[in-house]
Amino acid sequence: MLGLKNGESFSVKRVTIAREIGKRLADMGFVRGAKGRIVRSAMLGDPIQVKICQYDVSIRRAEAQGIEVEMAEAGV
Amino acid sequence: MNGHRAVLASDGLTPPAGAARKASKVIRIALAGNPNTGKTTLFNAMTGSHQKVGNYAGVTVEKREGRRLYKGYEFQVHDLPGVYSLTAYSMDEVVARDFIINERPDVVIDVIDSTNIERNLYLCLQFQELNVPIVAALNLNDEAISRGIQIDEKRLSEILRMPVIKTVGKKSVGVEQILDKAIVVFEQKEKPAYEVSYGYELEEDVQAVIAELKKDDVFCLRYPVRWCAVKLIEKDARADELVGMHTAAASVRAVLKERVKRIEEHFGRDSSIVVSEQRYGYIHGAAAEAVTRLHSDKKTITEKVDQILMDRVLGFPVFLFILWSIFQITFKIGAYPMGWIESLFGWLSSLATSVIPAGILRSLLVDGVIAGVGGVSSFIPLIILLFMFISILEDSGYMSRAAFIMDKFLHIFGLHGQSFLPMILGIGCSVPAVMAARTLKNMRDRVITVMVTPFMSCGAKLPVYVLLAGAFFPKHAGTVVLSMYVVGATLALFSSLLFRKTVLRGESTPFVMELPPYRLPTVKGILWHVREKTFGYLKKAGLVLLPASMLIWAVTTFPKSAGDAPKDVAMAQSYAGQIGRGMAPVLAPIGFDWKIGIAAVTGFAAKEMVVSTLGVLYRVEARADEKSDSLRSALRRDPTFSPLVAYVLMLFMLIVVPCFASVSVIYSEIGFKWVMFAITYWTVLAWSLCFVVYHSGRLLGF
Repeated sequence: MLGLKNGESFSVKRVTIAREIGKRLADMGFVRGAKGRIVRSAMLGDPIQVKICQYDVSIRRAEAQGIEVEMAEAGV
Repeated sequence: MNGHRAVLASDGLTPPAGAARKASKVIRIALAGNPNTGKTTLFNAMTGSHQKVGNYAGVTVEKREGRRLYKGYEFQVHDLPGVYSLTAYSMDEVVARDFIINERPDVVIDVIDSTNIERNLYLCLQFQELNVPIVAALNLNDEAISRGIQIDEKRLSEILRMPVIKTVGKKSVGVEQILDKAIVVFEQKEKPAYEVSYGYELEEDVQAVIAELKKDDVFCLRYPVRWCAVKLIEKDARADELVGMHTAAASVRAVLKERVKRIEEHFGRDSSIVVSEQRYGYIHGAAAEAVTRLHSDKKTITEKVDQILMDRVLGFPVFLFILWSIFQITFKIGAYPMGWIESLFGWLSSLATSVIPAGILRSLLVDGVIAGVGGVSSFIPLIILLFMFISILEDSGYMSRAAFIMDKFLHIFGLHGQSFLPMILGIGCSVPAVMAARTLKNMRDRVITVMVTPFMSCGAKLPVYVLLAGAFFPKHAGTVVLSMYVVGATLALFSSLLFRKTVLRGESTPFVMELPPYRLPTVKGILWHVREKTFGYLKKAGLVLLPASMLIWAVTTFPKSAGDAPKDVAMAQSYAGQIGRGMAPVLAPIGFDWKIGIAAVTGFAAKEMVVSTLGVLYRVEARADEKSDSLRSALRRDPTFSPLVAYVLMLFMLIVVPCFASVSVIYSEIGFKWVMFAITYWTVLAWSLCFVVYHSGRLLGF
């Protein structure tokens, strides 16, 4: 997910980390096929705001690194 | 009132005197849901003012209970913490699921955010798996309508096999329908049979684990088996503990291990994640049938506001400005009512002095009781104002954005974005600041934040700095005072880092934080929040502070010296004086004498008392304050004091154990073990740092 720029849309392929952080991400909607968009990043580039499943969520870059995505057409 | 009518309706008889509040049947409700769904508003609409707030045993997760008499039933409503899921990772989630499993409420009312139905149903399905009857409240329905989201609640109800009611909590729309449905569900003889489908690929594995679990009948009676099987596949630590009690634990674990291996090979990812995905898959299926979204490209108000408030460049200054305003308003405006309360108690004590003859009783009443109650009460205006602002920040949705803005910087020191607010408030007063740390959901973040907050020099420490800096650094007083704030903030940050690397080690907690849409806070909601915090403070602080101030009174008064001994002699001979003298050998290495020892003892009651104590001990006029010239020159004349000693004393007062009010609030937030650890840490750090500074200063010739 870190390869994407602000404003770009994506579709989640899979969460590659497990345990607490991975499970939390999956619980919050980062699951296969979920559509999202990178909204913005904070002042120092971290954390980032992501729109996923109709809502906004803030995640740290370290967490975003564990989410495998593919670019998608805009629409979220 | 409502209840009275309800009782009459239920049995048609006039209830016997005193039994008017007894309803015939009790329905135990658990109110559950995601954060930011308007759950608290709905809870208030349901229960009105019949509420009590406490903590769940052993954890500082708030426990709220309310009552409502309706149609002859007594509803006992337990407000569960707002959670997104029911994993074993967070205390809130463990509390919520343990409540369902152990207390078996009659009905769970699950509050669902209608604008974000999928993520909210994710929690709902986990309640279904716990085999507890559910009534779903599709809350914030007005927002959903304005966003073009149409929900067919009948269809949704059929698919998910549970009653679904549309509600608008802040307007109390749908509340009675919810209660009506809860009665229907409660009176149903047969429990609803929910069936959360995980798809055929996973179902086979779930069934295999269930088959193993079913070999122990007692286990099956105590725990919902399907839920347990799913949780085991999710690698849930608590579920694994439960299996430890299973008679065939070994074979359950063997089958589980094999199944998890199969799942991970088949799906190519961790089995805990596969379960989440399949659950979402089921939800998407249900939502596709019942929810239609009219797509709109128009920017929402939230998106527009965020373009400014969350801007990379503007966001931070705007945040600082908001914080600065809150700080100014709270402590500037709060000073007036604080002054009124202080004069009220001043009047009370002069009244008591004139009415009661001189002696122990008068002294106890004036210097112990009135001073103590006055001390507790004087914080009330600050707490009211501060929590008014905090609840506006929280209810409007800005709080999580502030955390977003600050997170990177604080994360370097092992803190959380939300630690910023309590720390800044600490510059005003540690008492409300520590209470504000409740916004941190994770226990570890909260403990660290609470322990370092006293390093942010509070308002009561300022008179001490002003006195000493004014006396010994007349030309650079401002710079010296400022240096205290800088040293304090630096110590706070590096102490957090130290705690994070030692006693509170462990994986960073996920910062997966929802940024809810902006919502207009309601006056009712704010007043409710403020009232709760204020009473909570009075109850906790009052219980500890009053006895503490009597104790301080006792140690400074006893043993009584002969008749007309001057005040300084009386204080020197009191227990406080003896403690001060007793501390002298420990204080000598950092340049202090016994007089400072006494001031440290009275400073425990309130930091500004250090100044008045020194006033008494240096025999200057009775009401010495920090701007008093006579006290300044008296200090300058004392050979113990030097600019270096004065600076070290300021450092000592900054770092050492904060006042009793703070300690008691810290105790109630983080518990006995951590407060003892913190007291030790503050004391050791204060002494060692003072030792180093004092001796380096001496070596450098100061």
